[in-house]
Amino acid sequence: MRRHTRRIFNICYRFTGNRTEAEDLSQDVFLRVYRTLGSYRSAHGGFATWATSVTRNLLIDHYRRTKRDRITDSLDDKMPIVENKESAGRRPDEQALLGELSMQVQSALTRLSPELREAVILRDLQQLEYAEIQTVLAVPEGTVKSRINRGRIELARILQQMGVRPA
Amino acid sequence: MTWTCDLIEARLSDYLEGLLQGPERAEFEAHAKSCADCAPLVASVRSLVGEMHSMEELETPPRLVYSILDKTLGPRETVTGWQGFLNVIRGLAAPKFAYGAASVMATLIIVVSASGFSLRKAKLADLRPAALYQRADRGVHTVRARCVKYVSDLRVVYEIQSRLRQDENNLQTAPQDLLPKPSPEKNPGQTDDRKPSQPRQQNRANEVTLQMEMLAAELPMLSERSGR
Repeated sequence: MRRHTRRIFNICYRFTGNRTEAEDLSQDVFLRVYRTLGSYRSAHGGFATWATSVTRNLLIDHYRRTKRDRITDSLDDKMPIVENKESAGRRPDEQALLGELSMQVQSALTRLSPELREAVILRDLQQLEYAEIQTVLAVPEGTVKSRINRGRIELARILQQMGVRPA
Repeated sequence: MTWTCDLIEARLSDYLEGLLQGPERAEFEAHAKSCADCAPLVASVRSLVGEMHSMEELETPPRLVYSILDKTLGPRETVTGWQGFLNVIRGLAAPKFAYGAASVMATLIIVVSASGFSLRKAKLADLRPAALYQRADRGVHTVRARCVKYVSDLRVVYEIQSRLRQDENNLQTAPQDLLPKPSPEKNPGQTDDRKPSQPRQQNRANEVTLQMEMLAAELPMLSERSGR
């Protein structure tokens, strides 16, 4: 239970970049898992993969529900400001948890499109195999590879725009 | 194959993950080193991937697990007032608690009776530690004396029993000539045809007369007095 909680909370946090939202979404994920446990089949991968699929679907739903806020954020993104607003508004305990560069990477992640963001999170932060990501995202392997590749390049460019260059 | 910048970009992750082998890899590296646009891109993506792989997972907030449990299994019931009191009473009536209470009571009764405290004539002064100690001490000594007496009584009984058994054994193992034997020649109702020379009464009278004569010879004073 705690292992799954930690993993799901981390996926939600990396996707949203907000601790409170990640906690609420983690609760929603477990509630949905609890209610739809009857639909789980081991043939569709392990429980962790299935729970990750549920998490991903819920994150996409959440993203669509809060699209208006995202549009506002995207307008902010277009402004050539190097200052990182999210980093400035982050709580001190979160700053202690994340290194400076990790915070910049986290901030850049939230500016990626959701399709690329989820692919990069699953591959580079959760370190899932391509086959598992293919199951979670329900897309062909070529699409998975393409999204991961484009996500990495896009993320590197965002960091470059932010004035951050990973060492 | 001609490696353009677009192709380098498309195969960048394959290169970083070691999926390009042989001449493909060599051509990729040759272009990436020579191209002014691709070289920084490859370097930045490589370091970014390394950075992301080294990012540690965040710890779960402590309250999150409880929130999840509340949300899935329902909130824990917090009953107050009379309902809560009744729940406590119901809990006391549970078999487990009843067994526990009975065993505690039994232990208390044993301890109190061992300390010599009389429940029929209970006095507050009897509960003083010194009085409790004296009664317990007296009780211990009484019990010890009873035990000693019981053991000594047992010893006497065993000793008597062992002696009786020893006598029986001696009788069984004794030689036959020490035991009184019935005469083989005499049977009940039969005579051996031998007649005593004198009757038994006469023998006894003779013995008495003889003894009187001896006594008279030794004590003449008695014979004179009898002569008168």
